[in-house]
Amino acid sequence: MGPVGWWSRSRLRTKIFVAFSALVVAVLIATLGFTQFVVSREAQRTLNRELLTTGQLFDGLLVERAARLRTNSILLASDFALKRIIATHFDANYDPATLASAALSYQSRIGAELLWITDENGLLLVSSPGASHGGTSLASFSPVKEALESGEAASTIGEINGVLFQLVAVPVFGPDVIGFLLLGQAIDDAFAARLRQAAGLDITFLTQDRVFASSWPAQDRDRLLPSNEARTEFLHWQAAHKPLLLKLAGERFLSLVFPVDARLAQPLYALAQGSYDKALAPLRSLQWRILLIGSGALLGALLIGIGLAGGIISPVQTLVSGMREVHRGNLHYRSSIERHDELGFLAKSFNDMVGGLEEREHLKDTFGRFVSHDVAEAVLNGRVPLEGERRDVTILFQDIRGFTGLSEGLDPAALLKLLNRFFTEVVAAVEAEGGVVKQFVGDGVMALFGAPQAYQDHAQRAVRAALGIVNRLAGLNRELQQQGLPALQIGVGIHTGAVVAGLIGPDNRVEYGVVGDPVNLANRVESLTKEVQATVLVSREISAQLSPAFVLGRTAMLPVKGKRQPIEVVEVLGLD
Amino acid sequence: MDFHRSLIIVLALAVLPLSAALAAGVSGRVVGADGKGIADAVVFVDAAPESAAARSPATATMDQINKTFVPHVLPVVVGTEVRFPNRDQISHHVYSFSRTKNFELPLYKGENAPPVLFDKPGVVKIGCNIHDWMSAVILVVPTPHFAVTDAEGHFKLAGLPPGNYRLLAWHEQSREKTADTAQRVQVAGSDLELTFQLSLSDDRSRPAMRGSRWDQ
Repeated sequence: MGPVGWWSRSRLRTKIFVAFSALVVAVLIATLGFTQFVVSREAQRTLNRELLTTGQLFDGLLVERAARLRTNSILLASDFALKRIIATHFDANYDPATLASAALSYQSRIGAELLWITDENGLLLVSSPGASHGGTSLASFSPVKEALESGEAASTIGEINGVLFQLVAVPVFGPDVIGFLLLGQAIDDAFAARLRQAAGLDITFLTQDRVFASSWPAQDRDRLLPSNEARTEFLHWQAAHKPLLLKLAGERFLSLVFPVDARLAQPLYALAQGSYDKALAPLRSLQWRILLIGSGALLGALLIGIGLAGGIISPVQTLVSGMREVHRGNLHYRSSIERHDELGFLAKSFNDMVGGLEEREHLKDTFGRFVSHDVAEAVLNGRVPLEGERRDVTILFQDIRGFTGLSEGLDPAALLKLLNRFFTEVVAAVEAEGGVVKQFVGDGVMALFGAPQAYQDHAQRAVRAALGIVNRLAGLNRELQQQGLPALQIGVGIHTGAVVAGLIGPDNRVEYGVVGDPVNLANRVESLTKEVQATVLVSREISAQLSPAFVLGRTAMLPVKGKRQPIEVVEVLGLD
Repeated sequence: MDFHRSLIIVLALAVLPLSAALAAGVSGRVVGADGKGIADAVVFVDAAPESAAARSPATATMDQINKTFVPHVLPVVVGTEVRFPNRDQISHHVYSFSRTKNFELPLYKGENAPPVLFDKPGVVKIGCNIHDWMSAVILVVPTPHFAVTDAEGHFKLAGLPPGNYRLLAWHEQSREKTADTAQRVQVAGSDLELTFQLSLSDDRSRPAMRGSRWDQ
């Protein structure tokens, strides 16, 4: 049974329930899916935007810091006292210790991590912090090199003793260049942490082989930064200027790489990372809430659905079980639904209908009591043509002989009871052969064979019915004799012929009956039974249609009023 | 004896105008590698015969006018005292860190600064502490025979007694060592023409800033 089959066979309540729940579930899933998609996309977009903005912000911060350093360095280089001290390197009695202490002092004044002084050719005089490493030429070291060439301040990012610095080289004029100051501010973890505060993203300065500074805590770096192998390929992407989604240590990061202009052995990059999962965290809680609300809604909807369905289903079910009752034949059943809507109308109509059925059955039964069931059926089903028809019908008359004498010996109730008992047998015998008891004429019976139900062998059937009556009578007589009552004696006359059959009588007192000479003749044959002392007499038209199995007896000639010729009748004795 | 003395005096007197009549000049040009004349170059006599004796100690002046040293290049003979009068309404702080002469005239106006004695030959770069663009050079030369070239690079040295002379050419931006520019001449009564060729590096002087209405 496929799903389609299951659906068409499942109960109405199930259908409503399933359809309703399916709808609510679909809406819930669609909502969840849609919010998931939209929020996640927005989170990614926002993070992307943040990353790109960070790039600019952070670039600006670096540039600004360098500019500040440069301005401060130029101001410092203009200090006359410093000029005087630097100029002492021209003297014969030049004292590097004084210069060194001046360098330290000035370094702390300006707040730089590094302050070196060279002569006008770039030869290092003193370096602070640290002792004076006089003697090294910095003429080819950026940014001293550029300052030497241009005669103006120059800045760059470079590495000194393993630390990344923003460096500024500034010529000291007196009034020609008498030396250079080299100042440096470190790009270290503290700076990265400050950038992180400003930009909201974690920043790491790195080359392919080295990490110089990072806002990540030291212990997390190994797992939160791409490993060396991954780094090469990853830094390759930086040309695309598009944020990348990286999975590091089980957390997802949107990362962007910015190139940083520097004088190093390998290109320097700044890696900005924002936690994608953290950005999505509000989404998670939103989703949970939606799920919760959705489930609640689903539950509520289901309960309402069930209630609603119940409100519709249960009266329907009541009607359905009522219908089943009616099917079983219980026509007394009435539905107890009292509503004012369509279902109420349905129930009322149901009741009316069943009432109608009941009445009809009652009519049929009643009808059937007065008329044979077959006739009643035929009439009620419209098989009896109202206009009447001409057909060959066998008519059977039966009479009880000596009834008068019998009636004197019994009280009316007992008499009727006996009569009815006998008639029951007669009717049974007649109907057993497909005949119809047309009416009870006093202590006699008129039966029809071949109408309203047509039979080819209606004649034989009539005779067999007559014999059946005789047999049944024998049994009855035995009982009567046991009761000390006299036996009944009967006579049966049968004739066949063309009659007009149909509904006789006015519309409100209609009877099914037959009209024609054969009817009278059959009656005449029956009254002859007493004369000739026969039980069953049939006309020649009947006997002509009997099979040889029938045992025939005497024949007689019956004069008939209105006919010149007497008719021949024959006795039927039995059936072999 | 009186006659001998007088004769000597007469002869000396006679020789004097003769020697004066015999003094000649050296003139010429200082040009660059492209042949164009170089201004503000100094051509000076580095070695002279004894007859070209030093005059009595001279004085020289370097003015500060409208926040500029005037002249930009001032050659003086060794032993000259140079005054630095301030013609501006604002103070200047004149200084030099040069090995040749390291001096400082802290904030002053007008003539309120003592003259500075330049007693060693060499280059003295002079600046003003307040106005970064102000700069000048005093070239302390060994003999009083020197000249500064004009805008076309022409110079003229006059009154050189006959003898053997060594001349040098100097410029603030000259790439040559001054000693390498030496040319020896024999002065013998008639004027000589000399040309010096110098190659110069770029001028690194800084633009002045005189925009404020308080500037005078």
